Amino acid sequence: MGQEEQLLEALKAAIIAIDTEKAKELTQQIIDAGIDPKRAIKISIKEAAEIIGQRFDAGDVFLAELVMVGDLMDEIGGMLEQHIPANELTKKRVIVIATVQGDVHSVGKNLVAVVLRSAGFEVHDMGVDVASSLIIQKAKEVKADMIALSSLLTTTMPYQKEVIDDLVSMGLRSKFKVILGGGPVTRDYADKVGADGYGKDAFDAVDEAKKLLA
Amino acid sequence: MALPFWEIIYRSKSSPILEEKQFDLELFKKGQELKKKYGIKYEPQAPVDVDGDLADRVYQAGVELFLHLGAYCTTTKRAIKVSEAELKEEIASRPEAVEMGQGEDRVRMVHRDVEGTQEPIVIAGIQTAPFSNEEMMFKINQLCAMDRCVDGIWGGILLKIEGQYEVVAGAPSEIYQYRKTVEILRRAVSAAGRPGMIIINNAPSSIATIAMFDEQCGMRRTDYMEVTGMSELKVAYDDLNRTAFALACGINIHGTHSSTIGGFSGNPEGAAIAAVAGSMQEVVIQKAESFRCGVTDSRVKSRISRAELWAAGTAIQGISRNTRLIVDGSIGDHPAAGPGTKQYLYEAAAGFIVSTVMGAHSTEGTRKFVVGDTPNYGTPLESRWMGEVCKGAAGMSRAQASELVKYLLEQYEKYLKDAPAGQTFEALYDQTTLQPTAEYQKLYDEVKAELRDRGLQFRS
Repeated sequence: MGQEEQLLEALKAAIIAIDTEKAKELTQQIIDAGIDPKRAIKISIKEAAEIIGQRFDAGDVFLAELVMVGDLMDEIGGMLEQHIPANELTKKRVIVIATVQGDVHSVGKNLVAVVLRSAGFEVHDMGVDVASSLIIQKAKEVKADMIALSSLLTTTMPYQKEVIDDLVSMGLRSKFKVILGGGPVTRDYADKVGADGYGKDAFDAVDEAKKLLA
Repeated sequence: MALPFWEIIYRSKSSPILEEKQFDLELFKKGQELKKKYGIKYEPQAPVDVDGDLADRVYQAGVELFLHLGAYCTTTKRAIKVSEAELKEEIASRPEAVEMGQGEDRVRMVHRDVEGTQEPIVIAGIQTAPFSNEEMMFKINQLCAMDRCVDGIWGGILLKIEGQYEVVAGAPSEIYQYRKTVEILRRAVSAAGRPGMIIINNAPSSIATIAMFDEQCGMRRTDYMEVTGMSELKVAYDDLNRTAFALACGINIHGTHSSTIGGFSGNPEGAAIAAVAGSMQEVVIQKAESFRCGVTDSRVKSRISRAELWAAGTAIQGISRNTRLIVDGSIGDHPAAGPGTKQYLYEAAAGFIVSTVMGAHSTEGTRKFVVGDTPNYGTPLESRWMGEVCKGAAGMSRAQASELVKYLLEQYEKYLKDAPAGQTFEALYDQTTLQPTAEYQKLYDEVKAELRDRGLQFRS
């Protein structure tokens, strides 16, 4: 293995170990050595994300670790992207996610947000109990590709429909894919209210997002 | 109450501001640190802790976690912390028994011991489920209330006003319809011959929940006010509004909290520790006299996975062994499978056996985990099952519960992710006689006989 491969593999290992200082140090070494930063993103960051995702799926890694890995990947990704010409940067697909109005359940939504982020999406997590108008406003503001809506209560599910209906009435429906999830939500319901997709859990949501935004 | 509620509110406004993400990450880090410190290890082949030593360590770790973190107030963005002395004093000040319901329907909910013979209180009903219309809601709940093994009814919701206007949380329709819901429930239990029976409902907002209280035709002081905390170790002013109202009116307070396997508490060990910490939150912050010590598993849409049974069961056992608090387990409340299936009965039985044997009551109703907007997705027979299993399991040893739970897990565990959907009340009950169909009754009787043969001592 050459020095370049060694550095890239070492960075990947540091990301997986969530060793922030070492990862930043190795990233700087990669930049100083003139290694293609796009290759570093592909080999070190994306492959690390895949491995972490598999471990999460297997129950060996947990939500907090995904958050920490996500933060670390954002930081070193930013360091590397500074050395990539603007016209060569690959734009990430953008997703706005929220738990709808009247509903304060956060765990499932957090999980989906973090898993989407680790899968390479740019995720704007608006939190819980968010009004439909604010969700749409945010989606417009960040030029989102998709809106992901969580509801854990039968009486807040209508707000998922409200977002879709408001998008239609504002002439914006074709601008954003809409995906639904949450404890009482079913695929039938998502279909019935005119959503584009449904995630029965975090991984299903990622698969659905990848499919819809391919 | 040792630490006044208004001191809690004061601390929620005067502590240093803390980023929510930092709180979440600290929950994970500290939980894992305590897992190591106390040598807590989940062994999947032993879903029921039979000796109690592990449960004691989970309890100690949970208390330490709560003292370290406190509870995060999402309204003020601050952690509300208490000292060890304050926590001990608060626990000691809690009642060992509360009386609920009225007249002949009055029940006494006491602290239950591990393997205890104290009566487990069962509040059944098709919790939070949608009903198609007033008549159907009345009928189903009346039938649930007629079962003598059920002590109370946890209500659901009618999703349309006058059959056409949608009910949505946070809107005027929520207040109106939840209020109407408890009026139907009160009439239903009266028609069942149990006018003093406990009825419970909990609307998404505090204002709608408060609007359900009415001594004549709604929820009463002798029912309870459910004060839900947010997962995990969080609380909002909207939750605490319920506490404020209950304290002002002298209503029993029942707290609920769930830690999440796969959430910020991490693995099953972290979730068990956080379940104890969340219970401490319910006692100190929400001022609960009784509380649900719950765990959910983000990986399955059932609340009765093997890891949940272990984590919730061990946390409940730890609290029951180390305090005189009144604990609600309700582990079997949300099976993956639907009504009318053997799997529903297997899942529910596993959860309710563990809840009861570990020293808890079960007061959170019972229904399929995912009901969507399908109305009438449950029947009185599942309520009866909840009651029969809980009452029958009182006094059972942990060793016996362990064997029974292992058997039950063998029956349903591999089907959790692709569970049978089951059927609605209309399909499972004869709509003229209002009795279960012969097929459903036969299925119920078969599972009951199966569990009786394996040592569950049903009372009838």
